[in-house]
Amino acid sequence: MSGQGQVSFRNIVKMHGEFAALKGVNFDIKPGEFFALLGPSGSGKSTTLRILAGLDAPTAGRVLIDDKDVTSTDARDRDIAMVFQSYALYPHMTVAENIAFPLEMAKLPKSEIAPAVKDAARKVKIDHLLDRKPGQLSGGQQQRCALARAIVRKARLFLLDEPLSNLDAKLRLETRAELKKLQRSLGVTAVYVTHDQEEAMTLADRMAVFMSGEIQQVGTPAEVFARPNSIDIAGFIGNPPMNLVPARYVDGDVIIAGHRLKTTATTAGERDVVVGLRPGALRLAEGGLGARVDLIEDLGDTAVLDLDCAGTMIRMRVADGNIPGEGDTISITARPQDIHLFDPATRRRL
Amino acid sequence: MTTTAVTSAGIASEAPRSDFGRVLAQRERRFAAALLAPAFLALLATTTFPLLFLVYTSAFRMDLAMPFTNGFVGFENYQVLLSDERFWASLLVSLVYTGSTVALQVIIGLALALLVMDMKRGQGWFRVIAILPVVLSPAVVGMIWRTFMLAPEFGIVDFLAINAGLGSKNWLGDPTLAMVSVIAIHTWQWTPFAFMVLLASLASLPEDIYEAARLDRASAWQRFRRITLPLLRPAIVMVIIMRTMVALTAFAAIFTVTAGGPGTATEILNLYAYRKSFTELSIGYGSALAVALLIVTIIISGLLFAMRRAK
Repeated sequence: MSGQGQVSFRNIVKMHGEFAALKGVNFDIKPGEFFALLGPSGSGKSTTLRILAGLDAPTAGRVLIDDKDVTSTDARDRDIAMVFQSYALYPHMTVAENIAFPLEMAKLPKSEIAPAVKDAARKVKIDHLLDRKPGQLSGGQQQRCALARAIVRKARLFLLDEPLSNLDAKLRLETRAELKKLQRSLGVTAVYVTHDQEEAMTLADRMAVFMSGEIQQVGTPAEVFARPNSIDIAGFIGNPPMNLVPARYVDGDVIIAGHRLKTTATTAGERDVVVGLRPGALRLAEGGLGARVDLIEDLGDTAVLDLDCAGTMIRMRVADGNIPGEGDTISITARPQDIHLFDPATRRRL
Repeated sequence: MTTTAVTSAGIASEAPRSDFGRVLAQRERRFAAALLAPAFLALLATTTFPLLFLVYTSAFRMDLAMPFTNGFVGFENYQVLLSDERFWASLLVSLVYTGSTVALQVIIGLALALLVMDMKRGQGWFRVIAILPVVLSPAVVGMIWRTFMLAPEFGIVDFLAINAGLGSKNWLGDPTLAMVSVIAIHTWQWTPFAFMVLLASLASLPEDIYEAARLDRASAWQRFRRITLPLLRPAIVMVIIMRTMVALTAFAAIFTVTAGGPGTATEILNLYAYRKSFTELSIGYGSALAVALLIVTIIISGLLFAMRRAK
């Protein structure tokens, strides 16, 4: 491992004709970090990764790797390894040949290639499949082969483009945990593209949340979850995501459907706001906001309630044991520090 | 339809029932044979019979110029053939002609396909224009080249040669140049076929493996050698097989351009058999030559198909 892998994006713009895929993207990745690019499809996260890899050129802006401007450097010369969403294995080569390919291109002597291939295959547990062709492997095995090909080279940067999206749910969870361990043990900088916020939350040291070609927020998963800085992120992160309810702010209180709730968030004077409430932060309490239970989604250990608060739909997560019945009228509240305020005009956090 | 369902009928009624089934099956087979018969007979009459008759006549002396010498001679024609220098010369011409035209078609076709794949615009037009020579009759192509392209002083090729400072050449009169010319003509006409097949094959290769190869630090040449060529191999082998079979039995283009000349410089085995049979009217010996060509073709295609099956 080169022990490096610092990345900086400086005002990267990517135009496809009239359409701006990226509208000036800035971020920094520290060496050894597991950095996720999270966003819905079409938000520009994959474009960002391809520009970092050198597969696409930005329309404007600069890409720096280890403080060196690589904006016009070819993908070949960037010392970057990548796992593609489609795996992109060479179909005519065996697993061993696939893994050996980057080493052969680096003109390593044969005596060094064979043990390196074995070692990489062992790390991802496919050392018994070395003589197979990709077409004879299952999806999970192909994915591991692609991983082995990427780690065998000990590149300074390790890019992953939705590597788990083609696996079934169970395998995805297993591989996710292994991926994290692998990255830790290798100590390599990893950049991970995903549209699955759960993946980003569990894997990443830090993440950048993309929305329509812009980065809306960069931070640790905990920070982004605790303090989403826009309505769009609040509505994207969390499962189910944050309730966003139009309300009125009157010195220290918010008024939702005629009911007053105390908040620690402050803004000037009296104004319209959007209140953000995490489904898990809502509590059942006497004398709170009245609501009727429309629907119950029982998840086993918890349940998600769809509540109707005088025409406003609010979702609430309750622990098993005190689940009300459908059609019941309940009363809910939230702690002052759990109430987030957003500006309805700028959509930013207040 | 033809199998009998044994239900609760028991063993007693089973025997006549399966008899009935056998009769039905037989009838069906007969009906199928009757439907096939016309096509089968036509095939026999137009391909198998002439072939067998060819082998049969090759065992006779059948000289239309000297009919009084005609008669059964057994393998004599083949004995003559083995010591016939003109046969060996024409076989060599055939092999050179086939080898060089097929190699050129594959190399130029692949190069063109790679170039066109990278064209951002005009791919469709290029394809249409490229396919034009293929749809022409080889005889017409031969005439075009003999007059329009290769005629000394007036032909385009000769005009270019003069302007390039090479001077006017007797393209079809000089033995070496004549061979080069007929090879060029065949290549010109049939390269588009290789081009089209290889272009289709290239277009079906996934783009992401090339991106992976770039990140794996493969140069353009390495990407071609290690990825494109192995993945195109089935298509290339197929083109080689199809074009080899046609080139071995080429006739019309050479016949119209040089008729095998000057002398026997461009006389492929096919043309020699034709000249022997219909110019010198020695049908028996001509048949033996044709059988020899058939054997050569079978051996070469056998080798090529073995190559295709091999890994």
